[in-house]
Amino acid sequence: MDKICIGKISDIVEGQARGFDPMHGGKDSMFMVRKGDQLFAYVDICPHYGSTSLPWKRHQYLDSAANHLVCAAHGALFEIASGTCVQGPCLGQKLSKIPFEFSSQNEIWISLTIIKEFEL
Amino acid sequence: MNIIGPDKLIFAVDDVTACKQFALDYGLTQQDDVNFVALDGTGIEIHSKDNASLPEALSTGSMLRKTLYGVADQETVDAIKAELSKDREVKVLDDGSIEAMDDMGFVLGFQVTIRQALDLPAETINAPGAPPQRGVNKTGVSKEFVAKPRSLSHVVYFVPDAVKAEAFFAERLGFVTTDRFKHMGPFMRPAGTNDHHTLFFLNTPPHMQGVEHFTFHMSGPTEVAQAGNALIEKGYQSFWGPGRHIFGSNWFWYFKSPFGCNIEYDADMDLHDEQWVAREAMPGADNSQVFLLHYEEKWAPGGPPPPKAQ
Repeated sequence: MDKICIGKISDIVEGQARGFDPMHGGKDSMFMVRKGDQLFAYVDICPHYGSTSLPWKRHQYLDSAANHLVCAAHGALFEIASGTCVQGPCLGQKLSKIPFEFSSQNEIWISLTIIKEFEL
Repeated sequence: MNIIGPDKLIFAVDDVTACKQFALDYGLTQQDDVNFVALDGTGIEIHSKDNASLPEALSTGSMLRKTLYGVADQETVDAIKAELSKDREVKVLDDGSIEAMDDMGFVLGFQVTIRQALDLPAETINAPGAPPQRGVNKTGVSKEFVAKPRSLSHVVYFVPDAVKAEAFFAERLGFVTTDRFKHMGPFMRPAGTNDHHTLFFLNTPPHMQGVEHFTFHMSGPTEVAQAGNALIEKGYQSFWGPGRHIFGSNWFWYFKSPFGCNIEYDADMDLHDEQWVAREAMPGADNSQVFLLHYEEKWAPGGPPPPKAQ
């Protein structure tokens, strides 16, 4: 198998995000978020320092209105669909977007090549 | 200017419920709907970002609306009012405190301090060659633990011009620079405390202006570690630490938070007076800390019991 299943589309509901630890390293290395009928996956690293994760608690990646992704270190806001920082220390920089695919059973799959490339 | 240190930090936040729960889990005591305080009465106010009665938010999105300093007496409040009135508006609020904007655009308040004197022992240690700090049959730690932040310690700000920010606090408010990271900014203490710093400025692009972190003093390094451990067990996520800084010598552990800034526990900060000569160092990992540790879930070595005797 050259890819792994990290969950189902139904795991990620509107207005919420979810962290994942696909290689069972002990902490989430990526997260997924829904906007309308679209899903997005990002590496859980804020571009401000390039080495620190975003949430203040597990799965807490969104502001209260679920309009933006938030880094809880210094309050940086990111667009959900593009991952671009629109406010905060890393203004104009982007979260790293992770390619993924769906199965016919609505499962979310990520290839091992991508996992290696993004160091997930 | 006999300024003692920050009495209150006033926040207007996106998620009030999350911030209030964080404050309680951190160990502050809820005094009323908005005030969360340490043992000496200093603390934070948590308001909604929609609260129109507060000073206006910075355009950068920082959730800190005001830093309210405690000063020794009314004469000091009056002296600050006279000094700042020379070149800016100084409001007198209904509670008798004054309010003005500093040279960076942060709103500052000054009041006769609410900080109460504490009479509590520090964390004690025993070491060969020194008289015991903790006597015979007195145990040092317990699994039963509740974090008790003692006092609002210091605030760190991202500022677009650290030289200008330092000059304002030094020349207009009598703060002293205790140490400095070159090209980054100064650690400063006001005249009314010997603490190494109650503020630190980080020179950063204008779009970053805001609060970087704030922290409360704890009883010692064990309480910093135990309080941080308790936060992690509640699901909060570490940002930096635990470790021990070089400038100030304070133990630290920083956590990400819903306040749009990190929140720290600190303990055992150096004290200085006018005899101290400020040091300078280049910023960076090696000059920021003597060591940095990382959290691990509790674990213990061991093995199976010996075979039963035949």
